[in-house]
Amino acid sequence: MKHSSKLLLLCTAATIAFGLVGFSSVSHAETLTADQVLKVLQTVDNRQRNNGDYRAQVIIDQREKDKNDLVYDATVYRRDERDRLMILFQRPKTERGKGYLRIDHNLWFYDPRVGKWERRTERERIGGTGSNRQDFDQSRLAEEFVGTHTGDTKLGRYTAHKLILKAKPGIDVAYPTVKMWVDVETYNTLKVQDIAASGKLMRTSYYPKWRKLYSESKGADVWFPKEIRIFDEVEKSNRTIIMIRKVDLKSLPTNIFTKAWLESKSR
Amino acid sequence: MSQSTKKQRMGSNMARLVLIAGRNLVQSRKRTLMLGTAFLIVTMLLVLVNSLTTGIRHTMLRTVTTLSTGHVNVGGFYKITSGQAAPVVTKYEEVLQPVREALPSDIGIVDRVRGWGKVVNPSGEGRPMQLGLTGINIKQETGIIDVVEVLDGSLMDLTRTDVGHTAVLFEKQAKRLEVGVGDTITLSVVTPNRSNNAIDAQVVAICKDVGLMSAWNVFTRKDTIRSLYLLDEGATGAIQIYLKDVDDAPETAEALRAVLADAGYGILEPDAKPFWMKFQTVTREDWTGQKLDVTTWEDELATILWTLQALQGVKTIVFSVLLVIIIVGLMNSLWMTIRERTREIGTLRAIGMGRNSVLALFLLEAGILSTVASVLGTLAGIGVAALLNAMNIQVGQGFQLFLMRDTVHLVIGGSDIAIALTLIPACAILGALYPAYRAARMKPVTALQHVS
Repeated sequence: MKHSSKLLLLCTAATIAFGLVGFSSVSHAETLTADQVLKVLQTVDNRQRNNGDYRAQVIIDQREKDKNDLVYDATVYRRDERDRLMILFQRPKTERGKGYLRIDHNLWFYDPRVGKWERRTERERIGGTGSNRQDFDQSRLAEEFVGTHTGDTKLGRYTAHKLILKAKPGIDVAYPTVKMWVDVETYNTLKVQDIAASGKLMRTSYYPKWRKLYSESKGADVWFPKEIRIFDEVEKSNRTIIMIRKVDLKSLPTNIFTKAWLESKSR
Repeated sequence: MSQSTKKQRMGSNMARLVLIAGRNLVQSRKRTLMLGTAFLIVTMLLVLVNSLTTGIRHTMLRTVTTLSTGHVNVGGFYKITSGQAAPVVTKYEEVLQPVREALPSDIGIVDRVRGWGKVVNPSGEGRPMQLGLTGINIKQETGIIDVVEVLDGSLMDLTRTDVGHTAVLFEKQAKRLEVGVGDTITLSVVTPNRSNNAIDAQVVAICKDVGLMSAWNVFTRKDTIRSLYLLDEGATGAIQIYLKDVDDAPETAEALRAVLADAGYGILEPDAKPFWMKFQTVTREDWTGQKLDVTTWEDELATILWTLQALQGVKTIVFSVLLVIIIVGLMNSLWMTIRERTREIGTLRAIGMGRNSVLALFLLEAGILSTVASVLGTLAGIGVAALLNAMNIQVGQGFQLFLMRDTVHLVIGGSDIAIALTLIPACAILGALYPAYRAARMKPVTALQHVS
């Protein structure tokens, strides 16, 4: 399942170029008011939200300096209406049956080798990679952050609203500050920078491709990123690529978001 | 017969016996020399091995209590929720008050902010390391200045605020991270509420490694650790107390537990483990808020003190075997002596020497021989230890980790000398007891008829 290093180099170069070109041509549009920013965030959330269920195959490709490359194949299950999320690892064989289950703001991790459930935090690095729960879950930006607009900017061939989001008090998020570039035309997220409490940039994520799928339950299109490229800004040589495949919006069995169901998958 | 006359006779008898024992030893020169040399070598080895373990203990105590723990520590855990624990003492100035009142005024007290995180070279070079982060006020830490040898930069530059946050690394850490003085490193931690935070710090000094402790310890400023863990000014990691006599640590810890409990603080049950091994236990407990944990340096170093205990164990086994060999050798030698001197024993018994005097004679021979040999062996041990110290013998990297220094360092303690001077003669007399008893039980007629 490993990608050729050439392809990765090409992707990385394209991503960096995508970012650099964007910064080179800045246009100052009228600053959005707080209400307008909230509207933008709500639009971003709504475009990705499905009223029914969601299932997708994700490939998580983790590259770290001086370590073997890791490629995970997992299935993500979501029931947005009830805030349910489950990630079930399928491959490699050593990881098969491991999984995360989010129930009522608690993220649980199951390892079939020890047969125990452990409570993890919202900021858990999924499978020890650079990704976290929010990269797989439904978007809740309007619910979790208060945003300000710092202007519009060119990001490659796209014009983007540049937003700075601060976490609302008492909300459990991975990073307290997020810088975000949202396409002014499509409201697709193009780039996200996660910033630590100290103000240090921790990771940068790029969303180069978006796809949509018609949802019967929503009666509208549901948008999802086809790929997320996450660059660790602390350990510069570490990067994670999440590829989202085979998205299915059909209803899932009712009892699927339970510990028993996830446990049964490793038997 | 009056009491004083009795005592006088006993004294003159004993003097006579000592004289005879001495003459016997001189007469059987070859055997005396052989046995004496054996006693001397064993005593010398005992002194040397004891001085090695004492040296390691001294070095360990000095470096470890300077780098990572006080003789007694008042640390603790603060729990935001019952499942989230941080190794923090909140409002430490208030905690310090009853502590100061309970201790003599001339005792050294410092506070350090503790953390654990990833240290990274932001340029992407080198390899990241998981290290303990210790926030200190270098101006108060005279012990660190004494123990640590600076290879490059200055420890005092830790206080520089014009370069932002600062850090002091040890040689191997700097090598692995591929950084030098003036370079930037990133300190990345997971905060008590499990969010990630990171800070850049400039390396202001690189110090020579001091064994195991420097392998996982980075010094920085207190405000750096507080910024990383989002703590306020009133929070610290542990209050470290340096006593006049380190042996008072257990009693002082016990007294402080009582004082702090009286002051209304929740105290954790004594548990001889370093603070970072207590997270699991504390997280499982169903309480929130602050609880204090009073530990001694031995508690905090429980994970590395096994090296010393292992060395003590090996030493005990080796010396037990050596002593058994010596005792068997001595018994064998005395058996031979008794056989050779059977007629002499018969004559002595026939001219009126009592059984007790014969017993005492043989015990005195063993006692005199072993005491003289032990004194000489101890002197030889002291001499060799001084020589080895003067030679500054370099040890391998693996051994350096546990020795906490790069050269062999032997320390001769008073107790080591006392053990050497009493243990060997005591064992020798013990070994001589049975052969001497058999000699004393011999009938004069049978002994006189003995043909050697």
